[in-house]
Amino acid sequence: MAYLLQRLLTDSAARAARRPAVAVGARFLTYAELDQLSNQVGRALLAQGVTPGDRVGILSPKSAAAVVAQYGVLKAGACYVPLDPKSPASRLATIMTDSGVTVVLADQATAGQAAALADSVPQLRAVIVSGPHWGRDAAPRPADGPAPQGPAIVPWEAVLAEPAGALGDGLTIDSDLAYILYTSGSTGTPKGVMISHRASLTFVEWAAACAGLTEEDRVCSPAPLHFDLSVFDVFAACKAGACMAVVPENTSIFPARLAQWLERAQISVWYSVPSVLTMLATHGNLPGFELSRLRAVIFAGEVFPAKHLNRLMTELPGPRYLNWYGPTETNVCTWYEVPPGSGELTAPVPIGKACANTDAFAVTSEGGRVAKPGEEGELYVRGSGLMRGYWGDQEKTRRMLVRNPFQAAYDEPAYRTGDLVTLDDAGNYVFLGRRDGMVKTRGYRVELGEVEAALYAHPAIREAVVLPVPDELLGSRLRAVICADVAAGLTREEVLDHCRRRLPSYMVPDVVEFLEALPRTSTDKVDRARLAEHGK
Amino acid sequence: MKGVSQLEEVINDYVSRELVQDASLLPLGNATSLLETGIIDSLSLLRLVVFIQQRLGITVDDVDLVPEHFDTIDAICAYLRSREAGRAGQAVGHG
Repeated sequence: MAYLLQRLLTDSAARAARRPAVAVGARFLTYAELDQLSNQVGRALLAQGVTPGDRVGILSPKSAAAVVAQYGVLKAGACYVPLDPKSPASRLATIMTDSGVTVVLADQATAGQAAALADSVPQLRAVIVSGPHWGRDAAPRPADGPAPQGPAIVPWEAVLAEPAGALGDGLTIDSDLAYILYTSGSTGTPKGVMISHRASLTFVEWAAACAGLTEEDRVCSPAPLHFDLSVFDVFAACKAGACMAVVPENTSIFPARLAQWLERAQISVWYSVPSVLTMLATHGNLPGFELSRLRAVIFAGEVFPAKHLNRLMTELPGPRYLNWYGPTETNVCTWYEVPPGSGELTAPVPIGKACANTDAFAVTSEGGRVAKPGEEGELYVRGSGLMRGYWGDQEKTRRMLVRNPFQAAYDEPAYRTGDLVTLDDAGNYVFLGRRDGMVKTRGYRVELGEVEAALYAHPAIREAVVLPVPDELLGSRLRAVICADVAAGLTREEVLDHCRRRLPSYMVPDVVEFLEALPRTSTDKVDRARLAEHGK
Repeated sequence: MKGVSQLEEVINDYVSRELVQDASLLPLGNATSLLETGIIDSLSLLRLVVFIQQRLGITVDDVDLVPEHFDTIDAICAYLRSREAGRAGQAVGHG
């Protein structure tokens, strides 16, 4: 049987047709509806000339229509590229141009944004706009039709006119790409992590088993589609025939409102970055809510500060607590279950041991293997969960997907995570820090070099250094230190405005400082250590 | 408590200066939705709460962190005035 992500849906639709697949509030799409609507989207994409392997953009917040779009793209044999509607147009255009997106699936709210991108993305041929009521109903046809030069605007009624029966697997095989997730790149351009069906399924199958998902579960992650955490609720829930619940817009901003929603939506499995859980623990008034349905709380993406995890586990002692670890390039590759009753942790919990069909090993600076506590090394990952590489960047791919140094007999790829780890007494890996200029803020990866490159794009900025400032809630805040031409009279607001037009909001510096000159080391490099000290 | 225009000015000034990411939203109206415009997210909400605590000496209770109180500058000020009035009432009661 074909090992493809969309088979998770067709199997669940055959087994549990009437069960809820995606819920928003009291309304839901059943597995049968999700299956049929995504068949129609798949056919509509083929009608637009999409061929196997093509990249199709999805410009949408997480929603039922977005899940229909994801499966529709896969059923067309294509590969989806999530586009964050909150990203600046210039960044979206860069991603669409880099990945060669020719068709975009949008919703009523983002259709105009998608069509406007055609100005800077000339290869964009068509925008398919999902209808209201999660795509069950046809949307009104646009009154004036598309602009003569712009992409074709395909109304939802054209999608609903397509047959709803099953599509075959066509030419797609498990090593083909399912999606490309763009992450921060150190040279100033986001890089596209290529994930195959096999790599995604390696995670999804393990994750559904690790969380023990069943048809009874109601699974939620607030992570947007371009963040790899969303692979769990979209695909692992589907494998189990569980219900994926979408957090209403703006609810996760307000901690007590989120806690109230968790109660009402009867969420049983939660997956997010630690900062959302920290907000819940510190401002969510958790003891005031009935959350006994919640049986697993899973966190990933950054280090969970021990004191906040203690508080969360004390206020909410019922669920299992799982720490999942893995860069986008490897999917989740190690995991650790926090022992029940831990409320007095003094250090962040380990990242744990390797997941199924995955091997994680650490290489010391001398090239040996980290074998016991006290030894430090960089974590490498091998296995079928690895990315295929970075889209259109073989050189970068070769640098990160290296030959497994401990396999002499044949050439096997291993991913260098750049994360430094050691072992604890129980054989769990413990995260120590990064080798390079990457930091995490709100669970998002930020290459300091990408922020610096955006700053350098300003004509009046001569030198720019971006430093991470540790922050308990966010992981890191970003501090920019700038040397600018005095004559330009550059202000902090101008710098921020400049950044906001180029970078997603989580990459915009929190603090901007001006210096006449940057301190230098003896080798004439910018003295980052001194700048960091100066900022304390 | 600050007068009507003064409180609005303090909050508007802080939100405009520190939280608005998209310069095209400025000048910011006191009735503009901070949620629809994306000005308030989980991070900026907490920054605003810290500012209110430090600048006005009002601690926002966790249960009051709701969209109804934080969607517009007018709503924020109305909420802050209700808090202030409650505190004044309490002070009288204990006096």
